[in-house]
Amino acid sequence: MSTHTHHIIPIRTYLTIFVLLLALTFVTVFVAKIDLGSMNIIVAMLVAGIKASLVALFFMHLLYDDTVNLSVFLTAILFLAVFIIFTLLDTERRADIDPTKAKQIEKKSAIIYDKIVSEKHSGH
Amino acid sequence: MEHPAHLQHHFSDTNQQYEASKLGMWVFLLTEILMFGGLFCAYVIFRAWYPEMFINAHKMLNVNMGALNTVVLITSSLTMALAIHSIQTGKKKLTTNYLIATVLLAGVFLVVKYFEYSHKIHLGQLPGEFYSYGGVDANNPHIFFSLYFMMTGLHGIHVVGGIIMIVWLIIQTNKGRFSAEYYSPVENVGLFWHLVDLIWIFLFPLFYLIG
Repeated sequence: MSTHTHHIIPIRTYLTIFVLLLALTFVTVFVAKIDLGSMNIIVAMLVAGIKASLVALFFMHLLYDDTVNLSVFLTAILFLAVFIIFTLLDTERRADIDPTKAKQIEKKSAIIYDKIVSEKHSGH
Repeated sequence: MEHPAHLQHHFSDTNQQYEASKLGMWVFLLTEILMFGGLFCAYVIFRAWYPEMFINAHKMLNVNMGALNTVVLITSSLTMALAIHSIQTGKKKLTTNYLIATVLLAGVFLVVKYFEYSHKIHLGQLPGEFYSYGGVDANNPHIFFSLYFMMTGLHGIHVVGGIIMIVWLIIQTNKGRFSAEYYSPVENVGLFWHLVDLIWIFLFPLFYLIG
């Protein structure tokens, strides 16, 4: 183990990151008000990804730490991606194999809009 | 060889102890990410199945309150980072002040969340079978509110846990347990607090800003 002293990040860096995070929050709220169709979710996740990277690299010191900590963090992200992508491969492609398995949630736990409205009108 | 009071016997030197405790914290954060991951996975599946319902149901959330809480949490992350900077440079009084500021901001976050929750509970926008609100023009809106309460609820529990740990840090700092030579607990609680911020950075657009 090396005996170097721990890197202390200057306050100016923290303040810069803070201002960037606030600016990006403003950007994401502003962009959400514009209808970009399916691009909205991509822009929102891109901005969230940049904000998360700034927090992880600077506030959580990953940029300055031993890379073993960064590798633990990236491992978590990698396995989260594997988890979500492989689950979607199932849930999005079920109907291709057997249309009867494509039902999304059980009928007894579904809430159907027309039924709620008609119940309200009949004074239920 | 001189032996500092905070160095435990199973470590060869303080630097090894420092690196080991931080790596341990990161492994814990990995399990935290994967725990929230289960809920994020459920969110992705249901949003893929019911895109229109998510758009209609999210209009029930107050973007201003969500944005306010985002700013509050980011600011609390800054004060936490500055608390660590202060203890690294040996300024104990300043450390305590920044930690108190972090707790206060966390409290503001919970108060805003309380107003949001009580409004939804009042309207019957509740998870699963408890759902009784008729104003969302879509089928199965209870799924959106199930995910909303589970994900923000688990996050809220983490905020409460974070407050308890930061209050413990304030007490220990006042007792003089931490110094520029030894501040691992301050840094590790800080990492936990930044993760809470990081998860909210994703929860905010996923619930409040659906296009």
